[in-house]
Amino acid sequence: MNTTSEKSDYLLLFRGADWHRGLSPDEIQKTMTVWMAWFNRLIEEGRCKGGQSLGPDSKVISGKAKNVVDGPYAEAKESVAGYFLLTVSSLEEAAEIAKECPTLGYGTTVEVRPLLARCAASEMAAKPAVVHA
Amino acid sequence: MTEHLFRQESGKLVSVLTGIFGADRLQMAEDVVQEALIRAMQTWPYQGIPKNPAAWLMQTAKNMALDIVRREKRFHEKQPEIIAEVEEGAGAGGGSPMLEGEIKDDRLRLMFTCCHPLIPPDAQAALALKTLCGLGTTEIAAAFLSTEAAIAKRLTRARQRIQEQKIPFEIPSGPELASRLDGVRQTLLLLFNEGYKASSGESLVREDICAEAIRLTTLLAEHPAGNQPPTHALLALMLLNGARLPARVDSDGNILRLKEQDRTLWNREMIVRGIMHLGRSAAGDELSEYHLHAGIAACHDTAADDASTDWRQILALYDRLAEMDDSPVIALNRAVAVANVHGPAKGLKAVKAISGRSELSSYYLLYAVLGEFEAQLGNDLVAASHFHRAAQLAELKSEQAFLAQRLVECEGRLRSQPPAARGHL
Repeated sequence: MNTTSEKSDYLLLFRGADWHRGLSPDEIQKTMTVWMAWFNRLIEEGRCKGGQSLGPDSKVISGKAKNVVDGPYAEAKESVAGYFLLTVSSLEEAAEIAKECPTLGYGTTVEVRPLLARCAASEMAAKPAVVHA
Repeated sequence: MTEHLFRQESGKLVSVLTGIFGADRLQMAEDVVQEALIRAMQTWPYQGIPKNPAAWLMQTAKNMALDIVRREKRFHEKQPEIIAEVEEGAGAGGGSPMLEGEIKDDRLRLMFTCCHPLIPPDAQAALALKTLCGLGTTEIAAAFLSTEAAIAKRLTRARQRIQEQKIPFEIPSGPELASRLDGVRQTLLLLFNEGYKASSGESLVREDICAEAIRLTTLLAEHPAGNQPPTHALLALMLLNGARLPARVDSDGNILRLKEQDRTLWNREMIVRGIMHLGRSAAGDELSEYHLHAGIAACHDTAADDASTDWRQILALYDRLAEMDDSPVIALNRAVAVANVHGPAKGLKAVKAISGRSELSSYYLLYAVLGEFEAQLGNDLVAASHFHRAAQLAELKSEQAFLAQRLVECEGRLRSQPPAARGHL
């Protein structure tokens, strides 16, 4: 059990890879600069462990027959374009960070999901019974 | 990373990719470049900015282009040739002199494609801004005081025209070069004027347009195909007029006249470059309108203060310009020079003598000039009515504010004078 910190991990999932079509090169550069500064700040603050963007190509495997379908699977608007891995105190704090996403105005949606480090039941089982005094 | 890196690289990339796809696939080149910039935007924040961002963008765009060439049937025939060309470039690495030269050739080819006489002039200018200068539709619309939809339509029509008329991606040679160069220079001047005429704080992008026009003209002047006296004269004209832009408005965005401008704000570096190109434009015996315009700008730029401006020389240049170009706007500017040399009464006379003056009847500057002359003659009542009319016709807020101020001055003088002393109508 993690006793040193009450922080836990959250993923920010960025969707909406199609928002950029109408942007000019200048706007793309400005957006990138703002995004880079945002990411770097979160890293420096220790609230972000890392992140990456996802390429558009994909393969989707499903079913007993292990069908392979070449992506992109989802509509560009819905497919995940990138993620941040956050370490923060609460879902609310993670959501506050998501609100700072510089491309919200361009159609990006950000989903915040907690990462469950361990199965909740096993975690409970590992916990000693606590008696509130 | 420099401020407009993406914009500037975009212009180079579109040129190079058009060389790969052909002029009829200009849109494809533009789309691929957009994709490459987006790829940078999506990966650089995580990986950091590459050591040579321009080379990164070039290689990414070329790889994307190669994917398309391999995938699309229409390129099958040319495929081995294109692949060899792209891979050769990759080996040379970014920034190699050979590669830089090839990029310049491609940019010039695209310049000739965009400025082809079969494309309407306003569409030529918009297309050059979009493809060669890397401006977005919104930015072009702001510069042309137009809507995004109208600009998008103009661009689409221009691209269609290139396809339908099979306009080539090449630098013309032989006798065709001279006439095509004229066309390119006219479009570049149009571009510059578009940015210059209203760069008074209404929209920042307009000064950018001037800078882009200068950039393209520099490219043309440095290239063997365009290195000719009129090109240097055109470049001198842009530099010498553009140099004064920083002083054209005060901190509140009000327009300042030449005599009111802080000359220390004039861009010395541009003036020096302008004078240098004016010198190079003197080679040969051709005297173009660009030469005369540049000469006039040089007179202003080299005067230590307003009082020492060589108006006689300016008038002489306008006289020659009027012989070559009978436009009433030139005649109006000449009248200002006349007034500065011979006094406002002679200036008024010169305005009245303008043939085709009716063409100016809805041009705000006609009334602004008339108002100025009448005010100098002490006819404040008449001057006020001219300034009033000018303010009604002016399109830009900064111009309207400037004229309103002149009107207030006239009215102030009228109030402080006895009725008998007021000018006669």
